[in-house]
Amino acid sequence: MKIAVIGIGQSLRGDDGVGVIAVCHWQENYPETANRSDIQVDVSELPGLALLDLLDGSDAAILVDAVESYSSPGTIHTLHQEQLAAFTSDAKSAHGWGVAETLRLDRMLNPGRQMIPIQLIGIEVEQMQMGIGLSKTVELALPRVCEAIQNQVQTLLAN
Amino acid sequence: MKTIEVPALARVEGEGGLYIGLQDGKAVEVRLDIYEPPRFFEGFLRDRFIQEVPDITARICGICPVAYQMSSAYAIENALDIKISPDARTLRRLMYCGEYIESHALHIYMLQAPDLFGKDSAFELAAIAPDVVKNALRLKKIGNQILKAIGGRSVHPVNVCIGGFYSWPEAAPIQALLPDLEWGLQTAIDCVKWAVTLPYPELEIDYEFVALHHPDEYGVIEGEIWSSKGRKLAIADYEKGYIEEHVKRSNALHGRTIDGNTYLVGPLSRINLNHEQLLPAAKKALKDAKLKLPIKNPYKSLIARAIELVDFYEEAIQLVKSYKPVGPAHVELKLKAGEGAGATEAPRGLLYHRYKIDENGLVKFAKITPPTAQNLPRIEADLLAMAPKIVKMPEAEATLTAEHLVRAYDPCISCATHFLKLKIEEVG
Repeated sequence: MKIAVIGIGQSLRGDDGVGVIAVCHWQENYPETANRSDIQVDVSELPGLALLDLLDGSDAAILVDAVESYSSPGTIHTLHQEQLAAFTSDAKSAHGWGVAETLRLDRMLNPGRQMIPIQLIGIEVEQMQMGIGLSKTVELALPRVCEAIQNQVQTLLAN
Repeated sequence: MKTIEVPALARVEGEGGLYIGLQDGKAVEVRLDIYEPPRFFEGFLRDRFIQEVPDITARICGICPVAYQMSSAYAIENALDIKISPDARTLRRLMYCGEYIESHALHIYMLQAPDLFGKDSAFELAAIAPDVVKNALRLKKIGNQILKAIGGRSVHPVNVCIGGFYSWPEAAPIQALLPDLEWGLQTAIDCVKWAVTLPYPELEIDYEFVALHHPDEYGVIEGEIWSSKGRKLAIADYEKGYIEEHVKRSNALHGRTIDGNTYLVGPLSRINLNHEQLLPAAKKALKDAKLKLPIKNPYKSLIARAIELVDFYEEAIQLVKSYKPVGPAHVELKLKAGEGAGATEAPRGLLYHRYKIDENGLVKFAKITPPTAQNLPRIEADLLAMAPKIVKMPEAEATLTAEHLVRAYDPCISCATHFLKLKIEEVG
């Protein structure tokens, strides 16, 4: 089973970069898992439709991305496929195709193909101003995000 | 007072508004208002080491990161009097081919084509023409694969440095792209044949076309800045011909020529000024399309992009076949204080950068003029020209026609800053 672990977010825009940073932290903290040949790790600042390319060839995927949903900053959300489809992106353009729209388009174009299981680990942001660096609250959540990634990967590997 | 408002425009980047003011049924004012806060990249770059600049500026745009890398690299190399090796230059062109391919495939099929089919989104287009959209995604993916093979990542590739490349990419993954590139070339030729059959609204504008021109190749990196009005400037003299002015209502700067006129950058300008430099298959595609040059209809930018798609697939095939770099991948940096300008042709048009650096290689001043900022006054002028037709249309059609015009420019407002709501108002 090939598992894709993909961190998404703009690291020059404050907490928006948490997905990318969390995946890099997970790689450092869990190298034995992250370096396995059946795990494909990617980070992408604004993948848009290229997300489909990143998912290509995988049997399952874990996406790690910033989320804004009025929960407390640093809250970790775990969304499954169906919840992901209902999660509307704020992106108003195909330049900024969100995760949900991109997966919806893929489903429309390949109705017969079995969809791979995709889970999203979303981290509630505090601020997304221009500038490098996470807010303190979101930074403090990083070890828990790494654990969440590791748990999800282990669960997938066990199946 | 009559007011028509629609939600934020889809299929362009960012947020803003379009306002058309009517008096006695005639359009008296057209404004493209940009709301979103400006992006402070020029400030960001101050006191950064020059080698960081290509990777920081790349983040200005997820669609054209290579353009930002290239313009910044050339500007800083000019400041340091560095000349990159011929092989590094060739690889930069191949990388640019990848960017044009992914950007144009996205715009042609996913952003503008839905308008020509009377559809609201690429989803609706996918429902009626799934094979068209599948081809679009494959065409786009191949562009991203070129970027990945050279720059390690398909979005925001990271191998470009001041002086050339950090390292030569391995030949095998690049050459493995050949079958896909051959497919892409054929599909792009078919794309031009398809593009000329689409129902474009009628509009002819007497533009001042501005683009980079190179006598020996299709102008993308290096060369002179040519205008259809006869102005020819060295890249270093760009600011002698073109200025940016702050418009109070907008967060984006607006470009003008030194004479105060609007001008057009982008695919129409490139095709009109540089069609003689197109490669044979693209030249044939242009000839077969039986278009009268210069193309003056902004909606037909889609056809110009399709012809360029052929050209960049064709060039990519040539460059992939001949990829055998020798010698070091980059020239060693010798720091000194200085100033330099660089311009390359981003998919959306001329992208100009200028930097001042100190003796430690720190950026002290940065100026970035993106294509969309240069085109904003031109988009407004086009809308004004189109307004007499638009105001006679039913509301829904009026909105779509105006939005389509803006989208045909493929404005990347996140580069210029952001973008759109349509409001038509009866004034006075």
